[in-house]
Amino acid sequence: MKSRPEILIEARELAYRYPGEENISSPAVYGVNLSVKRGEYVSLIGPNGSGKTTLLKLFNALLAPTEGEVLVEGISTTEEEKQVEIRRSCGMIFQNPDNQLVATTVEEDIAFGLENLELPSSEIRKRVEKVSSALGLKHLLKHPPHMLSGGEKGRVAIAGILAMQPSCILMDEPTAMLDSKSRQDVLGAVRHLNREQGLAVVHVTHFPEEAARADRVVIIDQGRLIEQGPPSVIMNKLQLLHQLGLQGTAPSELAALLRKDGFSIPEEILNCQELVQSLCTSELKI
Amino acid sequence: MYIGTENLSHIYMPGTPYATKALDEVSFSVGEGDFALLIGPSGSGKSTLIQHLNGLLKPTGGRVVFEDLELGAENVDLLSLRKRVGLVFQMAEEHFFSETVYDEVAFAPRNLGLEEDLVEQNVRSALENVGLDWQEVCHRHPFQLSSGQKRLVALAAVLSIKPEVLILDEPTAGLDPGGRLHLFDLLRMLNQQTGLTVLVCTHHMDEVAALADKVLVLNRGKVVMAGPAPDIFARRQELNDLGLSLPEITEVMHCLAKKGLPARTDIYTLEQARAEINSLKRRLKK
Repeated sequence: MKSRPEILIEARELAYRYPGEENISSPAVYGVNLSVKRGEYVSLIGPNGSGKTTLLKLFNALLAPTEGEVLVEGISTTEEEKQVEIRRSCGMIFQNPDNQLVATTVEEDIAFGLENLELPSSEIRKRVEKVSSALGLKHLLKHPPHMLSGGEKGRVAIAGILAMQPSCILMDEPTAMLDSKSRQDVLGAVRHLNREQGLAVVHVTHFPEEAARADRVVIIDQGRLIEQGPPSVIMNKLQLLHQLGLQGTAPSELAALLRKDGFSIPEEILNCQELVQSLCTSELKI
Repeated sequence: MYIGTENLSHIYMPGTPYATKALDEVSFSVGEGDFALLIGPSGSGKSTLIQHLNGLLKPTGGRVVFEDLELGAENVDLLSLRKRVGLVFQMAEEHFFSETVYDEVAFAPRNLGLEEDLVEQNVRSALENVGLDWQEVCHRHPFQLSSGQKRLVALAAVLSIKPEVLILDEPTAGLDPGGRLHLFDLLRMLNQQTGLTVLVCTHHMDEVAALADKVLVLNRGKVVMAGPAPDIFARRQELNDLGLSLPEITEVMHCLAKKGLPARTDIYTLEQARAEINSLKRRLKK
């Protein structure tokens, strides 16, 4: 799937002002140039109120730019007759799955979008079957969604989007309410589809260790794109992150403190394994 | 016992095919002035348990005890329980309904029948206690605030009844790292300076582990572990088996220990880890 290195989402000089905020000096989003490639996993990080969710809504054609433009698979999000198509190719997962679960059983919920697309029922059946087994939901198909655990609801919300066979999913803090096992379940399922089927992912997160697993990290502050690059670089720009009220991963923060104490540790530490490996082969060699 | 439960059971929809035993003979206690942590996988009964502690749910069996009050007995005075045990819901700012921050924070004390000048005093001290400039925010619309500020107002709206026990359900969900640190600093300050008893229910242990005196672990409606924080966090494998994880920084220390290094693992903050690794280096040199 990765043989088509084309741009999936492209934002050009994108700006957005909420209605009623014409007099406020800083727009919610301003001057953003950002592209997401097919099959890429991009994390968006930034303080509360920096414009991350607004950006996702602009990508999904839920909001129309006040300046600049967003192209999804080459189509401008302002083309009203194409908006259904745009939302099918870029599906949105909201922070709280309760906000997007609508039906009385899991299977009907997953089929909801497909019914709206007026697909033949044999096709709907096939797709529900496929996504529910990919996300480990087959045993829950007849259950009412509101009786499920947080992690299960999260996966049902994702299944409903994936059944539409999108090229990209936009996720707004999908793990804020989940326990650690459910977080791994939800993100593991998304990661698998990203690696195996070339699904592109734009993932808004407040957790440094989640951002660290992306292909690229983008920092947003006050509606602007401040910095972007591979996680090993961005998550180690600790001075910048701290200024914005953000953090590196715990291992990258610890590595920085130990460097101050004279430890020789490489600059691009992201996770526990890398830090422990580095410490055990030099400073703490037995 | 200061606050806690004795053989507390709760069954949702009893006598129907959907009957679910959410709590099964739960007994625990938290001491006056403690900072306690309630953890457990999604669906383990945490929210059900804390809703009993201020009388939002009634026990199916057993009882809730708070000093001289006993819930589960006949003719219990729920109002006096709710005056003294404050509960901050998950995403509490989603329940805001007032036009101004002042009215939002004043709602509970007014509802409890306090005189207006006493209400004003309470509102003022509650807003100051959460670190907001009360003159600046009190006339603003709650929706004009940032997410971090909204969460602080939600906390102030409970502090305004001057509770003796404060219970918070997932208080940092959706907050950026700076907001999370600020909120927990605040809770620690309230706990240490005013002797407020705090019970936090969360899935994210990174910032809160170092603050906890006592930890209670629920699974499938039963208490599976309870005790001083270091004792519970030492049972890493059992916690992992429940789908719970230790703070990232504690994981780093466990990884070092697994490599055969004599590293302490009762480490919950960056500074503790930094000190221990420096000391480890000195010990190894000798």
